[in-house]
Amino acid sequence: MDLQRKSFQLRHVDAGSCNACEQELTALLSKELDMQRYGIDMVASPRHADGLVVTGPVTDTMKTALEKVWESVPRPRKLIALGDCAVGCGVFQAAYASHGGVGAALETPDLEIRGCPPDPKKILKKLNP
Amino acid sequence: MVENERWIRVHVERKRAGEQLLSLTGDRERRIRSHWLLPDGRIEAESLICEEGRFPSLSVSLPEVAWDEREIHDMFGYVPEGHPDLRPLVRTPRWPDSFYPLKERVAAPQWLDVEPDNPAKVVEGEGMTVMKVGPTHAGIIESGHFVFSIMGENILHLDAHLFQNHRGVEKTLEGLTVTDARPFVSRICGADTVSHQYNFVSAVEQLTGREVPEAVAWQRVLLLESERILSHLNDLAQIPAGVGFTVAHQRGLAMKEVWQQELAAVFGHRFLFDAMNQGQITMSGKERFLTALSSLEREWGKWRKLVDRQRGFHDRMRGVGVVRREDADQLGAVGVALRATGIRLDVRAQMPLYRHVQIAIPHVSGGDVEARFQVRLQEVENSFRLLRTALEQLRKDATRDDWQPPVDVTGEAVGYSESPHGLNAHVLQIKNGRIERYHVRSGAYRNWPVLALAVAGNAVADFPLINKSFELCYSCADR
Repeated sequence: MDLQRKSFQLRHVDAGSCNACEQELTALLSKELDMQRYGIDMVASPRHADGLVVTGPVTDTMKTALEKVWESVPRPRKLIALGDCAVGCGVFQAAYASHGGVGAALETPDLEIRGCPPDPKKILKKLNP
Repeated sequence: MVENERWIRVHVERKRAGEQLLSLTGDRERRIRSHWLLPDGRIEAESLICEEGRFPSLSVSLPEVAWDEREIHDMFGYVPEGHPDLRPLVRTPRWPDSFYPLKERVAAPQWLDVEPDNPAKVVEGEGMTVMKVGPTHAGIIESGHFVFSIMGENILHLDAHLFQNHRGVEKTLEGLTVTDARPFVSRICGADTVSHQYNFVSAVEQLTGREVPEAVAWQRVLLLESERILSHLNDLAQIPAGVGFTVAHQRGLAMKEVWQQELAAVFGHRFLFDAMNQGQITMSGKERFLTALSSLEREWGKWRKLVDRQRGFHDRMRGVGVVRREDADQLGAVGVALRATGIRLDVRAQMPLYRHVQIAIPHVSGGDVEARFQVRLQEVENSFRLLRTALEQLRKDATRDDWQPPVDVTGEAVGYSESPHGLNAHVLQIKNGRIERYHVRSGAYRNWPVLALAVAGNAVADFPLINKSFELCYSCADR
């Protein structure tokens, strides 16, 4: 665990987002905000990840894929709900093909980052307390 | 039978006459409706009653509606007879057989406990490999499932399975009032939100006969062009990333970030969500906006020099992901992807909102990644000019636009606009102030089949580059 103290590698899965949360996550990798300098990075494989960032209200078509990715993240691990949709308080919660957020579809997230979409600086602060 | 023949004939004739298809959809009353935009800006509709749940497919003679008819089949259960490929588009094996979300008034179904994958179309034979990518991806992008048939390094066929992000937006809007529906419409898609907001308000205004005050119209031009710049900056920054030109990618993203911060300061949101319902821009907001625009134009000038002089970058984009002009026309391509083939259609020229300005359409024709890059470069600069014109027109501190539609607004109307990703149309059916049916046909929805065609014959390794040169939204296609 000690080795992980300064490293927080995250895998992202979009489960029905409108693409605004994705753009804000991408902004964190731009040199303007550059979250990598704080030891937070996005990785390509869930096997390399310390946590999973989920966006969107969890559509039915993405539910199975999301479960598989989450299962592939080695423990200890963190589940992060990014944006109102994933947290469970977005506008599309009650849509028929939505499972109402990460908490309802998968399990209670370790971290909730609210906003529609959350400001990148706020995301950074939440990921790097 | 006569009626069926007429249905196909009138659509073929409209296409031949240079009209633009806005939408093809159904409703609970078993009607199939199409809407067409005429060159002079008028909108006309065709209508057919689906006898015994069947209607004649247009897809063979009008290939651009292939997806629309599959969607009608998925959502209503009406069968387009003679459709060449009636595999599910939106629905998955997890949907109960009896569940047709737009036909009934029922809520969420009991999903079946099976995998959501639909049958894929692949090329079989010696030396063929099938490569599946997604629905989750290694980077930060939206979810989509791509089935490539490849031979060696080359793509023979791409079967794009989208709609992983299908939330059920159209159904969710049913029963809502205009006021309640606004935040939903605003969040159909993060990249084209202003265009979606405009289409909604425009459809409602058509039904009530509202004369939009000049100042309100200019404010809308300001928002639509601010969004075009934001979206084009994003897409232009992503294309260099596809070939490892990191400096141009990072500087592009930095320009976008600064622009977003300014949009948030002036209009209250980094993506302009709900911006169409905010008040008019204030005098101080205008000052700040002008300063931000000038500063962006300076940075833009430097960035353009950087990308213009990198010959290797342009060589890398030439001849890759070519869309032929005839295919673009046949498949009903729109927006940047269409204009890059030399077909000079931009519906801003038809929109009443832009009647006082000249819309410059870039002269580009290669149909490749380079052409799509060049179209965006020129369109950003055209939008800079449009923003300055709009700002000049907004001289006075205008009063707040707090117009509300009458509570009993009733009828059908189509709102359309040129979103950053092309012609975007909404069909609104409303009765006594409550939405009966809402249909969204976005630019991305039209262009996905075009992208799938454009990648055939290219190397697999070029897929990310070609994909980024279209930069199509998944969310406003999937809804």
